[in-house]
Amino acid sequence: MEKKRLIVIGGVAAGTKAASKAKRENPELEVIILTKEKDISYAGCGLPYYVGGIISERKELVVRTAEDFDRDQDITVLTEHEVTKIDPQAKTITYDNKVKAEIKTMAYDSLVLAMGASPVLPKLDGRELANIHTLRTPTDAEAVRKLVDAGKVKDAIVVGAGFIGLEAAENLHHRGVNVTIVEFAPLILPGYDEEMSIYVKNYLIENGVNIRTGVGVSGFVGDETGKVSGVKIGEEELPAQLVIWAGGVKPNVALAKEAGIEIGPTGAIAVNEYQETNIPGIYAAGDCTENTHLITKEKVWFAMGSTANKTGRIAGLNIVKEKADYLPGVLGTSIVKLFDLNAARTGLTEKQAIEKGYKVESVIVPGNDRAHYFPGYRQINTKLIADSTNGRILGAQIIGEGIVDKPIDIIATAISFEGTLEQISRLDLAYAPPFSMAMSSTILAANVLRNKIEGKYKGINPRDLKKAVENNEIEVLDVRTEAEHFLKAIPGSINIPEDELEARKDEIPQNKRVVIACKVGKRAYLSQHRLRKLGCNDLRIMDGGIDCYCYDLN
Amino acid sequence: MAEYEINARGLQCPGPIVKLFNQSKTAEPGDIIKIEVTDQGFKKDVMAWCKKTGCDLVELKEENNVISATIKKN
Repeated sequence: MEKKRLIVIGGVAAGTKAASKAKRENPELEVIILTKEKDISYAGCGLPYYVGGIISERKELVVRTAEDFDRDQDITVLTEHEVTKIDPQAKTITYDNKVKAEIKTMAYDSLVLAMGASPVLPKLDGRELANIHTLRTPTDAEAVRKLVDAGKVKDAIVVGAGFIGLEAAENLHHRGVNVTIVEFAPLILPGYDEEMSIYVKNYLIENGVNIRTGVGVSGFVGDETGKVSGVKIGEEELPAQLVIWAGGVKPNVALAKEAGIEIGPTGAIAVNEYQETNIPGIYAAGDCTENTHLITKEKVWFAMGSTANKTGRIAGLNIVKEKADYLPGVLGTSIVKLFDLNAARTGLTEKQAIEKGYKVESVIVPGNDRAHYFPGYRQINTKLIADSTNGRILGAQIIGEGIVDKPIDIIATAISFEGTLEQISRLDLAYAPPFSMAMSSTILAANVLRNKIEGKYKGINPRDLKKAVENNEIEVLDVRTEAEHFLKAIPGSINIPEDELEARKDEIPQNKRVVIACKVGKRAYLSQHRLRKLGCNDLRIMDGGIDCYCYDLN
Repeated sequence: MAEYEINARGLQCPGPIVKLFNQSKTAEPGDIIKIEVTDQGFKKDVMAWCKKTGCDLVELKEENNVISATIKKN
């Protein structure tokens, strides 16, 4: 019997994974990967760290080479071979061998599309100038690093405040470059609610990164040698000897579209949970495909390395045995490290959940990653979002210098199993002082949110508090010590330490809603009972306390 | 010129900053306050404190998870 042939278009995460898995499941299958790029199987997410020198060698970025695939797995990899056409009727592809400059056709039995995504660089004035780079391939990263190594970059502009942009900015800062991030959207770090995003922005600014939000780049300015020397933002010009364009990526779908393969509502290739496209025998995986959101069941597009590997594996399995495995959906779980700050998120943001029509309740709860008496513990702030009608967890964002990957993975797991707050608060999680608080930060957050939903207290989010203060709708009663209040406080707040509430009851504002503020929320919660006894009933507790308040304090 | 030493190791916030606050009330200009703290939030607090009160932060270091700050009252 003649060997069946699998052709994979694209050779980074999803493509190589699909090829490897199919070959492992059926060693008799002939597997060929074609990619227009020079490198295959490279660590795209590691590129900012190569720029920063944390990853020192270029070869460390390439997980496996074409030779490795041939020798170890009998998979043929053709680099610098660009597929220019798919003919689903004839079951052939046409490719351009860029090395030999020849165009050929090859037949397939099954096909995997794993063309990935590409940066979108709009046609702005001065686009052709040297030293304007995207950061998508090892070649891009090498060019940026060479420039920095040569000492030619004093000022750099990073356009886009997504993960790659923020990580690139941090790494350039470590190299002694004066970095400014320019973001068109009003907030940095997509996928986070405003108060969490601003917290991260403040942290980056404290660490010396300049950030400009809500402004767009209108063009580039060059010197007489054709190198970029500045970036235009409206009428303003910021100096830059290096520009990193990290303003978003777009799925590579042109090839699929021409072949009659269906494109979904997100603009990425439409696939079902088996990674099948609308054409039998053609699968798609990784950044060029869309996914289903596990909670809303809507189509979404998150270009994530973790998902690319999973969908690649599933495509590989299903090619050998139809419908052998499937991916029900994704939550957009992600994590990023910026200086010593870690940020992780999963599921829906509060804003998204409200837009989708859920009856939403949320809390922000500061906690520690380890026992407070264990040396080296750090604070982490957990924002937990749930459906108040049934307690189902909808999303979470965790930020802090402590460990955030464990709690976000607990919550992502809970959401995947349609878990509720009650179920989280009853989990038997690992505890010893070097690893967790006795009551883990995740369980603590779930309990606080349960209290809120059950009506044990009413909270106010930092965003709403800021507005209420500005509109003079409330009085803020700060129950921390005089020393803490002196250090930083909500402008206009009244300070009565919790143990003086009864003695100083005449100073408590009357006839106005009172927001009780403290450092993390605990003293405010406990003060609530004392204040009720004193006849104060229109009370709100500041969510997350002063520690999570990202707006102006004095 | 007096020199005060505060051992605030093992105290959680607000313990360390309250101790510093109280000591500072009794100290005279030119006096030195040395404080040792294990609460991580203290680093930011002491910097903000010195900025607000106009005190000099003579030294701020961290060794074996113990933060030591030397402050001169002005």
